[in-house]
Amino acid sequence: MARWGMVIDLQKCVGCYACVLACKQEHFLPPGIFWGRLVVTETGRHAAVTKAAYPVLCNHCEDAICVKACPTGATVRRDDGIVTINYDECAGCRYCVMACPYQQRTYYADDKKEYFPGQGLTELELIGRELYPLQKGSVLKCNFCLERIDRGLEKGLKPGIDREASPACVIACPAKARYFGDLSDQESEVSCLIREKKALQFHAEFGTNPSVYYIAR
Amino acid sequence: MKPYEWMVRHTPQTEWIQGRGILFWIAFFCIELGAATFLIASLFHNLLAEFIGWLICALLGGGFHFIYLGHPFRFYRMLLKPQTSWISRGLLFVSGFLLLSAIHMVLSLSGMSFLGLLIVTDILAFLTIIYGGFAMSYVNGIPLWNSALLPVLYTVAGLWGGAELSIIIQLQDGSEHVASLEQIVRVLLIIFVVIFPTYLVSARYGTSAGRVSVAEIVKGRLWPLFWAGVILFGTALPIGVVVASLVIGFDGIPIALFYFSVAFELIGDLTLRYLILKYGFYNPLVPAADSLSNEQ
Repeated sequence: MARWGMVIDLQKCVGCYACVLACKQEHFLPPGIFWGRLVVTETGRHAAVTKAAYPVLCNHCEDAICVKACPTGATVRRDDGIVTINYDECAGCRYCVMACPYQQRTYYADDKKEYFPGQGLTELELIGRELYPLQKGSVLKCNFCLERIDRGLEKGLKPGIDREASPACVIACPAKARYFGDLSDQESEVSCLIREKKALQFHAEFGTNPSVYYIAR
Repeated sequence: MKPYEWMVRHTPQTEWIQGRGILFWIAFFCIELGAATFLIASLFHNLLAEFIGWLICALLGGGFHFIYLGHPFRFYRMLLKPQTSWISRGLLFVSGFLLLSAIHMVLSLSGMSFLGLLIVTDILAFLTIIYGGFAMSYVNGIPLWNSALLPVLYTVAGLWGGAELSIIIQLQDGSEHVASLEQIVRVLLIIFVVIFPTYLVSARYGTSAGRVSVAEIVKGRLWPLFWAGVILFGTALPIGVVVASLVIGFDGIPIALFYFSVAFELIGDLTLRYLILKYGFYNPLVPAADSLSNEQ
């Protein structure tokens, strides 16, 4: 069975936010909700300041703390390694939000928020509520665009290679800083990159074995 | 906290203390206080105190927990994962405790309750008291919470509150067990006075988030809550009453002072839990300039 994972090359990332926007667009995410984010920081002191951008998303950990913490069983780790939430089962206790050491979960509290406050929902927002219904009172997070992966696999496509079967953030990245593929396949592009470029997991000390790797600057 | 500070600075948890999160804070407090009151009262067979403890746990604790949930009517689903989730275990303990304690109280009214049932109920009451601390200490991303001392602190604070409340209730019906309860309070107070600073010091000298959390509690924006609410009224005043009861005897203390002492102890416990929830910080996860990462 595949274990889907991602490699993000920080040497290539230009901090353009294309991944953040692609994710929001793909899932019709409401205002204030981000599944993928870009953390921009500065290190050093004047006049030797270094600006750095870190794209972050759910790490789809092999030993996911959120899965253990979820009291209802709404958060599950699929056989292919994707950690996903069944909104119909989530009770909204937010224990998973607390438990995730990567702070990658968001509670969807307000479904009345509009992108243009006071002007009603835009046509796109209305379409989004039809096509990608999110449940108020549930917890949300990145799902590696599992709909695209599942649909692509049904069509015989390969996630990470075929655009149609790859996560939106991967295909939107103009710098090609993101790679997606099967971590369990030693010959896959992601496995080769991890091996050759010595890619690292984000804060591996949490002991959750994330499926997202970073190639350091 | 500004959006661009997330992950770069020490990031506070908000879901369990801001907005509707306030309900969660009160729920945890009431559940532990109610269960502790029942547990202590059951040792002295005071049915009224047992019932009041049960009401606090069921109506206030359970009620606030229920309305805090995003989907309250799915609460039964939270019983499904006791093997890994502390929230699930907690709900099982609370449900079991409320059910068995209700049966025990009904049987007690007709003089038919038996020791085996009371022992099981008391064990469940104790598990109810300890679960909140364990649920929080499981969160390894927040160093202030991720401490083995937190469940001990919460348990001692809960039992102390329960014992104080039991004394008040027993004073109403002139029970002869007040002196014994006061002995329990003295022991719990001594344990609390040892555990509480130890907990803060161990958090302070752990990770940077622990240091920031303790600094915020002790000298942050809400420092009056800590020094006045927790230390002065919540701890020092009850200590004063205990010392006075040792010196001049329990009967020599004005009853009004005693009521104030209990009220302030409960407010102190509630304040302490608020501060611990409020200042639960995650460590910064991405590298940043020192001036960014260590300030609040």
